[in-house]
Amino acid sequence: MYDLIIFLVLLGLGYFVGQALEKSHFRSIIKREKELRHLLTFSNRYPPSVTEEQNAQLVSGSVVISIDYFKQIVAALRALIGGRITSYESLLERARREALLRMKEEALTLGANIIVNVKLETSSITKGQRQQVGCVEVLAYGTALHDKQFS
Amino acid sequence: MQYSNPEIPEGINVTQVHPLKEFFTLIAGVAGLVIVVVFLLAITVQYLVTLIPFEKESQWLGRMGESFTASMQSDETSDNHQQIEDYLQKMADTLSEHQRLPEGMMITVHYSEADTVNAFATLGGNIVIFKGLLQTLPHENALAMVMAHEIAHIKHRHPIVALGRGVAVGLVLVSLSGVGDGVAVQQLLGNLSMLTTLTFSRSQEELSDREALGVLTTMYGHVGGAEALFEALQTEYEGREPPQILSTHPHTEKRIERIKEIQAAMATDTEFKPLPGFILELKKANEKDKQPGNE
Repeated sequence: MYDLIIFLVLLGLGYFVGQALEKSHFRSIIKREKELRHLLTFSNRYPPSVTEEQNAQLVSGSVVISIDYFKQIVAALRALIGGRITSYESLLERARREALLRMKEEALTLGANIIVNVKLETSSITKGQRQQVGCVEVLAYGTALHDKQFS
Repeated sequence: MQYSNPEIPEGINVTQVHPLKEFFTLIAGVAGLVIVVVFLLAITVQYLVTLIPFEKESQWLGRMGESFTASMQSDETSDNHQQIEDYLQKMADTLSEHQRLPEGMMITVHYSEADTVNAFATLGGNIVIFKGLLQTLPHENALAMVMAHEIAHIKHRHPIVALGRGVAVGLVLVSLSGVGDGVAVQQLLGNLSMLTTLTFSRSQEELSDREALGVLTTMYGHVGGAEALFEALQTEYEGREPPQILSTHPHTEKRIERIKEIQAAMATDTEFKPLPGFILELKKANEKDKQPGNE
């Protein structure tokens, strides 16, 4: 009986608090993306031909986001049935966009206006128990350059 | 270099579905599946296990039943232990005849000096009656009701069916371990299967109650007094009973209601056969222990 009550409390906490945090994070992401839209990112391997002498630098942004209990339960049920794990989709979307933004912010402080060869890497940080995914980490990195043609 | 920098719209990488709606759909699907599978499994096991003849049950599992009953015995043995056990065995033999037990089914009654207010039937035709129960019963009719109820369990092979059911459902659960993220899903599946098997347990209890009432008529000529034990239990466990859906027995109130329904349809009387002297003495001893001076 008490197991059920604790389960429902954790579930409720995960759902309400988790959803609120996610919504506020998305709002912040959208706002910052608007501000940093002028900083271009390319996934080309080779940098474009430039007109100035370059001071190319590696820039990166990473973020670690934890999964709440509600998302975990929905994902576990999905693991039984199969299909898209929509609860993780929004989590990873958040993490990816945040990582890219942090990379752009670093590039901005260096005075760059484009980032070339942008790559993303995701990893899950388990707490040692094989079956529990504690949190997800996304790393975005690339080469920051400055060129007048991209201003 | 050719490039464009459009504003990317939202919602491309996320599936637009309300998380709660998805959660409830998934839970309903999984729960429904588990309940159906466990239900069918329990019915199949019930049919297959009853095909094992009682003689084989006693032969293979009787020792298990006996060691279980031995574990229920308390350390102390009073002087009239054997006298009480013989009396209970005689009652069981009489009731077995009235209940028309199949050929070869032997009931062995064990008397335990523990204070538990309970009685149970286990594998191999073994029944245990506790001292606490004898101290609570007001008259022999109530005792016969309890005894007939336990004999009905054995007649319908409920101990071995419960064992088979537990094994089969447990096997299914164990084979599902490791599926899914984390331990919560296994707990959920385990709880759901437990709830489903409890329905079967409760229907077994109801069947035994009904049959016991039928036997009372043949033995005493009426079914009066059958509710005495349940009423005593009700006053003792007032408010502390778990909800019916979580227990192996129907709610005490419901059992009393059913008994009263049957009593209204059949003959009742208020003349009850009193318990023999050596059992009434147990009650006196209990009351003496309960008085403040003697604690």
